[in-house]
Amino acid sequence: MSAPLLSVRGLGKRFGGLVALADVSFDVAEGETVGVMGANGAGKTTLFSLIAGNERPTTGRIEVDGRSTAGLSPDRVCRLGVGRTFQIVKPFPALTVRENLRTAAMFGRAAMPNAAVADRSTQPVLDALGLADAADQPAGTLTLSGQKRLEIARAVATGARVVLLDEVMAGLTPTEVAQMLETLRRLRASHGLTLLVIEHVMRALMDLCARIVVLHHGECIAIGTPDEIGADPRVLSAYLGSSA
Amino acid sequence: MRGLFASRVWTAALVSGFAVLAALPFVADDYAIGVGLALLMWLALTESWCVLSKMTGYVSLGSVVFYGLGATLVVVTWQKIPLWVALPAAGLVAAAFAALVGGPVLRVRGPYFVILTYGLAELVKYSIIAAESAAGTASRILFGAPDLATIYFAMFALALAATLLLAWVSGSRFGHGLRSLRENEEAAETLGVPVVRYKLAAFVLSAAIPGMVGGVMALRSTYFVVGQVFDPMLSVTVIAMAVLGGGDDTRGPLLGVVFLALLSELLWARAPLLYMVLLGAILVVFVLLVPDGLVGLFDRSGRRRVAASKEAS
Repeated sequence: MSAPLLSVRGLGKRFGGLVALADVSFDVAEGETVGVMGANGAGKTTLFSLIAGNERPTTGRIEVDGRSTAGLSPDRVCRLGVGRTFQIVKPFPALTVRENLRTAAMFGRAAMPNAAVADRSTQPVLDALGLADAADQPAGTLTLSGQKRLEIARAVATGARVVLLDEVMAGLTPTEVAQMLETLRRLRASHGLTLLVIEHVMRALMDLCARIVVLHHGECIAIGTPDEIGADPRVLSAYLGSSA
Repeated sequence: MRGLFASRVWTAALVSGFAVLAALPFVADDYAIGVGLALLMWLALTESWCVLSKMTGYVSLGSVVFYGLGATLVVVTWQKIPLWVALPAAGLVAAAFAALVGGPVLRVRGPYFVILTYGLAELVKYSIIAAESAAGTASRILFGAPDLATIYFAMFALALAATLLLAWVSGSRFGHGLRSLRENEEAAETLGVPVVRYKLAAFVLSAAIPGMVGGVMALRSTYFVVGQVFDPMLSVTVIAMAVLGGGDDTRGPLLGVVFLALLSELLWARAPLLYMVLLGAILVVFVLLVPDGLVGLFDRSGRRRVAASKEAS
């Protein structure tokens, strides 16, 4: 196997006296999909914020395609090929859906030189996420499910090689989850994406991911295939209590 | 927002408006030229203000600091360095000041930014007042200032430059980045927009022309009192004009400036006592009932017309 596309080593983050993340290490190979699982407060979103540059790590290293990115600003990390979605959606509400994607295509790794070229490049992403009909309406008027899809569309439209998906299926109906899984699989194939996925919908994780990283109170307690994770005693005790 | 109705009709109106203003000194009396000069001054200031505040949502209450710095520079260098050096230097000083304070100032958002820019302008004002009184100068008079027509054309050039600047920013990749960070700064940064650099660039760009405007207006009044050239009412008026105009392209400032400058000219003459009352009332009505300003009104009626003609055909 070649060098990993994303590599995290001894990553830690402290907020004052609170240890949000401690000594987390894992690799993600190009084209791989890795899940991140853990209870609320386990440090999943902090992990994403560190990788995307929204937060600066207290300890540890992050490498994207061999380049160290820890401590870089989010816009530089984005231009190096990392896209992320926000669990609490952050659209540009007064801009149209197309203009939202235009920002990503012009300023992300894709670096499209002007609006016309950017819009042409984002059309397939709009189509893939079912946003084409809403392309010219303000993003603020989308439903929550639409805004979640917009988050994914923007992250992909940056031209990212690694996309961090933060609970993009939370709040969706089972039918919508099934559709979303299908959409993600198609996007992954068509754009050659490497995915890191936070999800509480277990079926989605099991279905999509080759490997899963389990966080518990900021520590990484297990890494393995979905089957291994399902049988791991530490994971079971963390989720079901020590008697299980 | 930036629809098809807007562009062509608008460009025609804009070009003919500037043509009329360019011809004014050749046909009008001094009073009319004075009104035209005021119009051009507000236009230059408001278009510049929009480069930062409309594009990024960082509402600055500090326009006057750039104006005042420019005026001060031109006055203190009067008859020491030639005017064609002093005026660009006024712009440069204002821009340099913005670059210097921009880093820390642009870290705060919303009401904090408003207050901070206001406080900064007052700080500079009182520092210069202190410096002037330490030097023993209470006020200064400029002898041998250029005539009104020359001043008018200098201001015309500045108003045109400010309009072209905002037009360029509004339509550029840079402008799209600014709009994105206005909508959500964290999302914009995560999508690759270099927000810190962009905000600072917008701040510096919005400062240069007001600096030169201040310099030109110092020549017009020929009488220089620090408290007057740093009058916070100037910043407030700029915001009022931008709010009345609405939108985030060149149209808003122009509509707002023409509307408010002409209205205040009328009111001053007809009802001087009611002037501020009416002005306040108009501002309240606009903020409450027409939050997207005159541009919003135009666009809505434009869209209605387009829709009606579509139905008819």
